This record gives sequence, C-alpha cells and structure tokens, in this order.
Amino acid sequence: MSEVLELAGTLLSAALLASAIRLTVPILLAALGAVFTERGGVVNIGLEGMMIMGTFWGAATTYFTARALPELVAAVPDLAPLAGMGAAVLAGAALALVHAVVAVTFRVDQIISGVALNLLAVGLARFLNILFFRVATQSPGIEGFTPISIPLLRDLPALAPVARNLSPVIPLALLLVVGGHWVLVRTRFGLRLRAVGEHPLAADTLGIDVYRMRYLGVLLSGALAGLAGGYLAIEQGHGYLEGMTQGRGFIALAAMIFGNWWPVGALGASALFGYFDALSLRVVALRIPYQFITVLPHIVTILVLAGVVRRAQPPAADGLPYAKEEE
Amino acid sequence: MSLPARLLLLQVLAPLVAILFGAVVASGILLAIDRDPLAVYGQMLRFTLTRADSLASIFFKATPLILAGLAAALAFRASLWNIGVEGQYYVGAILAAYVGFAVRGLPGVVHLPLAVLAGAAGGAAWAFLPIALRLRRGAHEVITTIMMNYIAAALVLYLLEPGLLRDPAQAGTPRVRTPEVLPGARLPSLRPLLDLVGLQIPGYSSLNGMLVVGLLLCVLFALVLRRTTFGFEVRAVAANPQAAEAAGIPLGRVLFTMFLLSGAVAGLVGLSDTLGFFGYFDIDFPKGYGFLGISVALLARNHPVGVIPAALLLAFLDRGAQGVQVFAGVPREVITIMQGVIILAIVVAYELLTRYLRALRKREAARAEPARPPLPAPGEGRRAGEAAGGGTP
Amino acid sequence: MDTGPPVIELRRITKRFPGVVANDRVDLAVHAGEIHALVGENGAGKSTLMKILYGLYLPDEGEVVVRGRPVRLESPRQALRLGIGMVHQHFMLIPRFTVTENVILGAEPVRRGDRLALREAEAAVAAIARRYGFAIDPRALVADLSVGEQQRVEIIKVLYRGAEVLILDEPTAVLAPQEVEDLFENLRRLRAQGKTIIFISHRLEEVLAIADRVTVLRRGAVVGTVRAAETTRAQLAEMMVGRPVLLAVERRETAPGPVRLHAEGLWALDGRGLPRVRDVTFEVRAGEIYALAGVEGNGQSELVEALVGLRPIARGRLRIDGRDVTHAGPRAIRLLGVAHIPEDRHRRGLVLPMEVRENLVLGHHTRPEFTRGPLLRQAAVDRFAADRVRAYDVRVPSLATPALALSGGNQQKVVVAREFAFDPQVLVAAQPTRGLDIGATEFVQQQLMEAKARGMAVLLVSVSLDEVFSLADRIGVLFHGEVVGEFRRGEVTPQELGLYMTGAKRQVPA
Repeated sequence: MSEVLELAGTLLSAALLASAIRLTVPILLAALGAVFTERGGVVNIGLEGMMIMGTFWGAATTYFTARALPELVAAVPDLAPLAGMGAAVLAGAALALVHAVVAVTFRVDQIISGVALNLLAVGLARFLNILFFRVATQSPGIEGFTPISIPLLRDLPALAPVARNLSPVIPLALLLVVGGHWVLVRTRFGLRLRAVGEHPLAADTLGIDVYRMRYLGVLLSGALAGLAGGYLAIEQGHGYLEGMTQGRGFIALAAMIFGNWWPVGALGASALFGYFDALSLRVVALRIPYQFITVLPHIVTILVLAGVVRRAQPPAADGLPYAKEEE
Repeated sequence: MSLPARLLLLQVLAPLVAILFGAVVASGILLAIDRDPLAVYGQMLRFTLTRADSLASIFFKATPLILAGLAAALAFRASLWNIGVEGQYYVGAILAAYVGFAVRGLPGVVHLPLAVLAGAAGGAAWAFLPIALRLRRGAHEVITTIMMNYIAAALVLYLLEPGLLRDPAQAGTPRVRTPEVLPGARLPSLRPLLDLVGLQIPGYSSLNGMLVVGLLLCVLFALVLRRTTFGFEVRAVAANPQAAEAAGIPLGRVLFTMFLLSGAVAGLVGLSDTLGFFGYFDIDFPKGYGFLGISVALLARNHPVGVIPAALLLAFLDRGAQGVQVFAGVPREVITIMQGVIILAIVVAYELLTRYLRALRKREAARAEPARPPLPAPGEGRRAGEAAGGGTP
Repeated sequence: MDTGPPVIELRRITKRFPGVVANDRVDLAVHAGEIHALVGENGAGKSTLMKILYGLYLPDEGEVVVRGRPVRLESPRQALRLGIGMVHQHFMLIPRFTVTENVILGAEPVRRGDRLALREAEAAVAAIARRYGFAIDPRALVADLSVGEQQRVEIIKVLYRGAEVLILDEPTAVLAPQEVEDLFENLRRLRAQGKTIIFISHRLEEVLAIADRVTVLRRGAVVGTVRAAETTRAQLAEMMVGRPVLLAVERRETAPGPVRLHAEGLWALDGRGLPRVRDVTFEVRAGEIYALAGVEGNGQSELVEALVGLRPIARGRLRIDGRDVTHAGPRAIRLLGVAHIPEDRHRRGLVLPMEVRENLVLGHHTRPEFTRGPLLRQAAVDRFAADRVRAYDVRVPSLATPALALSGGNQQKVVVAREFAFDPQVLVAAQPTRGLDIGATEFVQQQLMEAKARGMAVLLVSVSLDEVFSLADRIGVLFHGEVVGEFRRGEVTPQELGLYMTGAKRQVPA
C-alpha cells in the first residue's frame, strides 16, 4: 500500500507536473495549428517538418543575433530569443506555404505532400546546419527568455516548481488557445474557415474564396508549428539538435483528433501527452526498461487513437481537395 | 500524334521535367555556396557512371530501396498509408539476425530461406497493429505507423541489451551488435553469377542475392495486381471502397492482406545488410530506408515495376552525393534536398498529368456518342425494348 | 405581371465544354414580377444557363442584360449585388451550422475586430421569415431540419442578400406533394411582393401549376417560349424531346409467383445509432414490381443498404427465397441471385477510374467463367463485356475507356447491364432513373418491365410518383422509416399517396 502511495506521490509530484506543463507546450502549439488547418479542410502531415524548421531557425537566429548585436542584446533583454522565435514562426510558415501551393492549388494528395515536406525539412535542416555551423546535427548552445513566475502562487512552497521559473511562452500558449477558440467561434474569419472545411462548394457559391481561406489555415498551422519548434529549441533544448522534435508533430495530430478539432480539446489532449513526455524523462521507479520509457508518449498516442477515434467528428470536407467547377 | 503515343510521351516526360526542376533548385543552392553547378554535376556523373565500383555500389544501394519502395507502393496501391516501413524493417532485420545466429544445425538451403522468412514475418508482425486499429477503430494509419517506428527503434535498442541479443564476444569494445549469423544463413554474393555473364565487379563489392529477390518480387506483384482476382479487388477497393463493398468484395480482408504484404516486404529491406554485407544487426544499422522507400514509391507512381528505375535513380543520386562530397567538397545534403524537391515536383507533375488524361478521355467518350440516338416511335417501343433485352441470357 | 421591358435578358448566350455545346445561342427574356419556368431534359442546358446568370460561369458568346444594362457576371457575389440569387437543387447548406450562420455566411454583419454580430443577424433572419411567412427558427441546426425547412433556409439566404430575382433549380425534386404546395404558396407570396422567379424543372404538371410563362430548352437551344395557360403537358414534352413522347411505359401483365424477398420487422440504425428503418415488413413476389414511394430522407437509403447486406439489420428478419440472410454480407446475398442498382451510381455503382469492362465484371469477377485459379481470364472478360455493351447499346469508344468518361445515361446502362447478367432472381433498384434524360429513363424503366416479365421480383425505391405509378403492381409508402401504407395498383391516387408520404395519413397496422 505504501508502495502505491509512493508511486502516486512520484507520479503527481509538483516537479513532474511542472515538467509536464513545459513539455505540453510544443505539442499544444502544433496541435492548435493542426486545428486551424483541418478546420479549413486541409490535412497537414508536414507539421513535424515545420516544427523542425522552427527548431533550426529558432536556434540559429538566436545564436547569430546574440553574436552580431552584443550591445543591443545587452540593452534589450530577450532580444535574441525574440528574434529567434520570430524566425521560427516565419520558417514554419514558409514551409507551410509550399504545402498550401502543392495541396490546395495543385490539389496533390495532402498526405503525400506532407510526407514529402517532412523529408525535405530533414535534409534542409542538416544542410543548413552544416552551412552555418559546420556540423550536421547540432548547433551551439543559446540562451532562452528570462523566466517569469506567477505572482501569488509562487509564494506557496508546494507549488514552487510549477509557479516559478516559467517560460513566458507558456502563458502565451494558453492565451493562444483561448484566442484560437474565440477566433473560430466568434469571428467572421472563423466562421468562413469552418465553412470551407465543412462544405467548400457552399462557401464558394456564397462568394467566399475557398483557396484563400485554406491557404490562411495552412499558413497559420505552419506558423504555430514553427513557434512550437522555436520554443523547443530556445526554451528547452537551448540549442538545435537533430531529431529533437521526436515525432511531436505527429503526436500533435493525435491530440487534435482526441480534442475533437477544438482548441480547448487540443489543450486537454496535449496535456495528457505532455504528462507522459515528462514521465519519460525522469528515471521513475517503474519496472519498465528505460528504452520504452522514452517512447511512452508514442505508446499513449496509439492507445488514444485506438480508444477514442470512433466517436470523433472531423470537419466534413477534411482532406478533400477542392476544385472550382470551371476548371 | 495518336492518343496512346501522346500518353506514353507525357508519362516519360513528367518525371524528367521533375528531375530537371530538382536539378535547377539544387543548382541554386550550389551557386549560393559558391560552386559551379555544371562542374559539380559533371563530376557527379563521371564519378557514378565511369567507375565499375560505382555501378556495383549503385545496385547494392538500390537493393534495400527497391524493397522499401515496393513495400510502400503495395500499401499505397490499396490506398493505405504505410509510413511504418522504417520500423518494420528494423524488426524484420533483427528477427532475421536472431534466426541467423541462434538456430543451429540447419543446412544452408534451409537456414537462409528461414532467416529471410523471419525477416518478412517480423515486418508483417510490426504492421499488424496499425492495420488492425485502422480496420477496427478507424485510427489513421499514418499516425499509428509513425508511432510504431519510434517504438521499433526503442525495441531494437532494448533487444541489444547484454543478456538478450547482444554478442557477448564484443564485450569491452564499443561495438553493440548481435552475434554474426551462421554461414548457412548468409546471402550469396552475386559475383559468381555476374562472372558467368562476363561482368566484372570489384572484389570488395557486397552485391548479393537480395537484389534478385527484390527484382523478382517487383515483377511478381505487378502480375498479381494486373492479372489476378485479388489484384482486381485491391484496385477496386483503392479506387472506390463503397462500390467494391457493394459488389461483394470483402473490404477488410483485402486491406488487411495488402497491408501485411507491405509489412512483409518491408521486413526484407534490411536483409541485404544483415544477412549479406554485415552479417549481423548492430546499433548503427543503416536508418532511413523507410522514408527513402516512400520517395521511391511516389516516384514510381506506386507501380511495382516502376519501383526499380526509381530506386536506381535514388541510389544513383546517393552515390553521386558521396562522390561530390569527397571530391568536390560539396555537402551531400544538397543532393538530399534535390531529392525532396524532385519528389514534390513529381507529385505535382503526376497530378497535372492525371487531370489532363481525364479531360482527354472525357472528350474522346463524348465524341463516341454522336447525336442522341433516335428514340423509337410509340408503336416500336416494345420491339426496341425486346431487342435490348434479347441479348441477355 | 409586369409587361414592360424585361428585368433579365439573355441574348445569344453560347457556352461550350469539352465535347459538348451546353448552351447554343440562347435568347431568354424574363419580366419583373413573373414566375418563369425553364424546362428541358437532363443535359438540355438549363442548369448551365442559370449558372451563367448567377455568375458561376462566363458565357463564351452572347451577353447578359440586367435591367437594361449589359453586365459581365464574374462571380455569384456580383450577381447578388445586382439582385440575382440562386436557390440550388442540391442545398448548399452546412449541416453543422445554425440557420442564421448559414444565411449570413459570406455576408456576415461584423463589429470591430472581425467579431460577428450574431444577435443582429438572428433578428434579421427572423424578420425575413416573418415577412414572407416562412416558419423557421433562426437558432436551429440545419442538420435537424426537414428537407422542406432546409429549402426555406436557402430561400431566406438569397432574400437576406436583397435578391429581387430568385432562380430555383429543381426545387420540387425532394419534396412531397404537400410540401410542393407549401412552396408554391411561398412563391406566390414572393411574386405578390414584386419578386421575379425563374423556376427550373422537368416536372411538367408542376410547371403548369405555378408558372406564368415557360421556356423550353433542347440540346442547348431554345425551342420556344409559351404562356403556361396556353399549353399542355404533352405539348411541352414534345418540345422537350423533339417528337411525340410516351409519357408512360408500356405495361406487361404477369401473374405473380412465389415470394422471393421477405422483410419482417426490420430495424436499421444510422451512424449515430438512431433508427432510420423502423419495423418494416413487406414482401416481393416473382414477376411483380413492388414500389416503395416516399420523400427522400425517410429511410429509403438505409433500407436498401440493409436489404443488400451493406448495413447491419438491428432487429427483424430478412429472407431471400426462404433463406434467412439477416446477418449475411453483400457477397452472400449476391450469390443468392440478388441484383442491386444503387441510388448513387458514382458512389456504390461504379469504380469510376476503372475501365468499362472491369466495371462490367465487378461483382462477377470470382465466377468460374472468369477465373482460372487465382488468375483472371482476360479474354473471357473481354468477350462478356463486348456482349453486354452490344446488348444494352452502351456508347463507348472502347471497352478500355474508364467509366468516368461516360455520360450519366451510359454509366447507368453499364450498371444495369452488369446487374442483369447471370439471371438474378431479385432486383433491388434504388432511384434507378435519377439524373437521366428522357431517353435513358425510358430505357431503364423498360428494363424494369422486362425484368418483371421474365419473372424477377423487383423492388423499386423511387421518389418520383410518376415512376411509381407507371411501373408498380403494388405500392408501399415509407415515412420516417416506417411503411405507413400499402396499396395495389389502382387503389390509390397520387394525391392520396402524398398524404401518406407526409405522414398526414397512415393505415392502421393489420
């Protein structure tokens, strides 16, 4: 019995939860992006590749900004990581633009396009790393944002790990979830995006530019995936390391499905995966070989998909290329 | 130009245009890093095509690519996304290695096929869960197969622990691998066969029998898809599962079989290395064939026989990349990027081609139906109906 | 009705698609405040012409004149700005959105920051509904509405955008007789308020009931424009086809034989677990046509799927020739001699990318005639396909042509040719003449008559009362998944049948 309590204590410790929150963020941001693109009717398997671009460009830009503008960086704290994040977002969006062109304009199968982009991203990242840093698989170390802490909670010793030393990206991510939900439900853009994902022909006959809406959805997903990658490199890994995304771009898709294509649902699902991710990083006294602990999130993903998917309701036109009748 | 001739021309032109496009993009990158694209390409071509060891190397590199491409193509032909070729070949290779070193006392003529079958079985077993979940629970196999890849990597790491499949004779060295497979389980080299036809390949070449297996499987599956009832059912299911179901075709069984076949072929991908070149499975086993296989399948438009030239192309580019890295100091990733761009360009080209063909077909069919056939006058109605009905049994 | 200059004029409109001239120098003038009907068979060019008027297509030649000024309509948005609105045949509604969201989509009232002014929108929708006498709840989800109500939403959509000219494309195709009357009431009310209505249909008796004037199209060209009061169904049909037309199929009388298909207390559920087929019992004998009439969406699709093994039967029994097939799959039911003409030939009937000969052998491909072990005998398949194509007069350039290249009529012929092969005992035909022109329709109906004459038990599921009354020996009515009435030929009129179809009447269960 005491063993069980001890296990429970380990599994719910504040330190673990804090770690879980940190690890939820990349999955959450990518999942949020996935929600937007699929609400518009475009499947984006290439999120992993966009995240990879985010990790690389985030790290590289942060590094070079700090190197090139030392006085400015000293004067303006967080300038370098901010520049890095900006670059990460742009990098993700740039790759997403290719996906949009290939999948929306040329109407190539969306899954093929995504898979091809992932391959391209891996090669690009290696190449660029060699170009900039002369080695293929990792960049020099960088510093992230100045950590913040939550005003009242930080004074409670039990909650210290959770409330202190937080990346500012964490509250940003939560804000984006709330904002994302609001945009989808209460704005004209959100209504049109959802319409285009449910019934593009209907939207077209009402004068809505289906292609434009879908492009925006895809670009938004790329930007968010890039942001996720940037966070991963700048705030967690403090540098770029090949393979650091570890399939989170795909786990994010599972989180989106589990969250029923809503931002708040994606938050819950991502938190679940984040928790297992955190668990996998700590040497927990579980009688499982350590190699499998590192893939706990992946195993959980499969279990989630196996258990949940039947009742899921994707947007009606999700994954189907749209062709205007004239063509 | 006649229709079939035009069709053929376009189908050959499309990949060529895509390759050209890829070369243009790569040229851009080369120029950006201060290299002369034409000189680099020239060096690449000289390196790959004028050296006998290059040619042998290309075929050796192509062997796993042919199998991986075939595995991916088989699944894609059934409209299933097997992105798990990567994990399936790890599992197949380590299982084959195990059968190769652990099973004693068998003559070579039994041991080798057994090891190969073990490889296929391992790949098929690893494909089982994703397809079962897809058929039973609607879980998208793209995500589940990718997850299985990560789990496979963890699994083989685990299996290489001391006390499990790790070779105790290597203790104290940094090499982590299984014991060597017994001689009876090793793939024969192709050298004697090539010598017979007068083709000399260098002594150190590792070209082995798996190449023949790959080529034969490609031809076999092409025939299966075209000529058998099962192949017919697969094609129907891929193009329109609802119509196939209404026609009485067992959807689940067809999809399941095709996916497991895909997994089984994937299991063979690593055997050229495990049972041939190396003779064991180690921690630095070549990775990435799975995703290259997907590229091969896309290039080949999922045609089992088209996989062969597509694999050769990628092997050629890979060898070329090696060459330019060593002799021209150009990072090989430039070629990797070129590969990625070619893939994208080719899928766009194929899509445009398919659409064009469809429009051509529609025009042709509309021409075959001239003015509406004159309808029978009232009294003739019955006779026309009888004439139409008279042909039926 | 206004007799001044026309509000809409189409002058010498020509539109070509690959291989066909959809509109051939069409002249059309519509006056303000009139209900103008546009009739013609499938493929005559009515839809194309209206899509040009609505801005979805640009004409290759000719001009569109609105209120005396020539315009170039490049988008539906532009057409709406000019007051032209289209109510589509296949509703362009998003089931998951509310009535209001569907109405305002594309013309949303917004506040600062792109925020939707939903309350104002709801009020506006309610106001329109009140003004024209539509009964509709602005907050309802479209998925929960009846077909008639959904159509009202489509009409409100165009009225919300200030349409003065409404184009209705085959509006009565999905309605029961009572709902058609409701629609016509609404249309008359709209006309009274000065709206102009263009009404596309191929239902001649309805056209004569509601329209002021009628324009007939045939093969892309205008045959003529007449006043509804001055013409007859027969005259219009003759104009549509170019020669006198049989408006009914020649009947064949046979004595019905043993019961071949017996459904007893069938229940079937939809994807959400809701019952769509409730306690359905009926039987079909050899040599008779039993027609199930009903407005679309009353469980026909689910029932047909249950009968051919494509949908599980939740409760009840299904027997073919006395054998219990309640839990059998499609293959087993086929092997018992059941043929199936599906209601959606593109989804269930044909594998469009595959060749005509492959489609002809689909479902028969495991027969010994076509196989040698695991291999397909290509020569045998080719011979069979050539024979079928000849017998059913399917127009194809070659047997290897993909099915998607064929016209709708030829595609349906392929399905019929395939299903009638190998002497089926039972035929389940669901909406077999949907989307076909008069020639193809006559052909298919003829085939159904032939089938009955040859002793097949034919179950015909159709939303067309014309078809039902012309072919059936016995008629059943499906409403909300139940068989609410069953009649012999001659025991019921279309009007009365309509009452059963809308649930206003039902037979007391025996």
